[in-house]
Amino acid sequence: MLGSKELPDVPAIHVNGFTGGTGESVTRFVREEVLASNEFLLASQVDQAAFRLEGSSVGGRVVGKLLDAEGKTLFSRTYAAPGIRENVLALVDDVIFAATGKPGLALSRIVFVSDVDGTKQVYLCGPNGGEVQKVTSQKHGAVSPSLSRDVSMVAYTTYRSGYPVVEVMDLHSGWKRTVTDTPGSSFGASFAPDEPRLAVVMSFLGNPEVFVTDLNSNTAGCLSDTVGVPSSPVWHPDGKQIMFSCDEGGGSELFVVELPEGEDGSSKLFRWRSGQRFSTDPSWSPSGDKVAFTAVSSRGSSSVIVKPYPEGRSKVVASGGAQHPSWSPNGRFLVYAKRGDLVVYDLRSHQSKTILTDYGTISEPRWMK
Amino acid sequence: MDEMMRQFSRLVTLALALACAGCAELGDSLPTKSLWSKEVDSNLVYALGSRDSFESPLSQRLKPACPALKFKSREFAVTKDHRTVLTSLATGWEQSKCRLLIAGYAPPTLPEDYARSLSERRAQAVRQALIELGIEAVDIQTVGFGSDFGPSGPNQDVVVIFREGGQGTSPREEEAGEGSDEDPNLITVGRFRQ
Repeated sequence: MLGSKELPDVPAIHVNGFTGGTGESVTRFVREEVLASNEFLLASQVDQAAFRLEGSSVGGRVVGKLLDAEGKTLFSRTYAAPGIRENVLALVDDVIFAATGKPGLALSRIVFVSDVDGTKQVYLCGPNGGEVQKVTSQKHGAVSPSLSRDVSMVAYTTYRSGYPVVEVMDLHSGWKRTVTDTPGSSFGASFAPDEPRLAVVMSFLGNPEVFVTDLNSNTAGCLSDTVGVPSSPVWHPDGKQIMFSCDEGGGSELFVVELPEGEDGSSKLFRWRSGQRFSTDPSWSPSGDKVAFTAVSSRGSSSVIVKPYPEGRSKVVASGGAQHPSWSPNGRFLVYAKRGDLVVYDLRSHQSKTILTDYGTISEPRWMK
Repeated sequence: MDEMMRQFSRLVTLALALACAGCAELGDSLPTKSLWSKEVDSNLVYALGSRDSFESPLSQRLKPACPALKFKSREFAVTKDHRTVLTSLATGWEQSKCRLLIAGYAPPTLPEDYARSLSERRAQAVRQALIELGIEAVDIQTVGFGSDFGPSGPNQDVVVIFREGGQGTSPREEEAGEGSDEDPNLITVGRFRQ
């Protein structure tokens, strides 16, 4: 990420040397990850630090203990995954959560589409653009990916049958399941925050409409009734609202659906004024108080905009072709695609950094954990 | 969209097709039951039927049934020029009764998901026009390729109506060197955009 020296008001942490056979390596990895997180300054002296991290490591297994400035233990945990790096990432995420109350990003993943191998396929990478992993190898390609909140499943549109069909893959086992093998087109899948549900656009009714599918019961409810062009449904973090874009001829606008509670509940649909002539690809911040989206100017140039929700003053985060923003799990960064590169924007320092370039044409990123 | 708001309370439930489920069952079952106890609107007469045995232009080389229909940027309404072409197609259809696959495309300058929806919406508008001209709904399927795939012509804001029939070679074989005997004025097979 960006250098922590550019970030104001971050607490200092002192990392004691970890003891044990692999303690030296763990100490080095921890310091690297703590700095990369942008959540702390590294203090060389214990008395300068708001937090103190210490522990031991033998054979790659890591025991970590976090203390505050008064010496009170905030947590003490053992990490016994097969990889030493994986254990360190989990420890640093826990440290960040204990110190800031927000999730760390070390184990978060960004899913995106790239045509680097000739066809559009779905890939994963880490928050710094490293550890790129190819997820799909479909004959005609796969696009429009979405990660479940725990990064265990990915949903995407595959063209393997020659038609756009939504499929879900378990990232641990590789098991795949077709969700919407319906006539017409299906795309824009988006995982609900907590439940096994997908918001998705399907067109078998005779026009594209936004649906919510229940992956357990294999049923779906239609949320829209439009004669236009609906796309890009996305969930509010509370799981009770969905925002999507729809163009009925006057430019794409953003709409919010409040889902009914129970079979007898009533629903509400309303237009959310983005302040832009053409808005699409909305993404709700983890706290639900902001929305990032793509705006397209009359000349066709796209920008990434952030606007407080439900209302407030919008801010242009990136222009010149930037599109498809997605929030980091801690709400402090945005990832977006710009001219085929993957870019992360720091909302505190207002700096952007290209984290993946020369990897074909990258599009449709989403960040989750 | 105002209409959309007024009618929004209409919610439909359906059994989704899973990996092994046939589309015919799904098409036949719609709309049958409302999820939140609301009646289903009766104007959904043009819901798509089964896609079984319809070939995709991605895996089978299909011949266009008429010249490609060009659309202005972000527009999806069928124009007078489109209707002229479609009327001619519908007149000839009476003899052949061939099945048609309507494939929509959109340029890569548009946001990807929007492009997919726009291309499908265009295909659906053309389908509706063909049904109104007398072609049977069961003989028409639609697909929106957005900007994920591009037609072979210079214009990507198009809808191509393919004649189903299983003739020809696959796009990959054609790319490998086999020639085309088609009218060069016709936009032909959708191909993956590199």
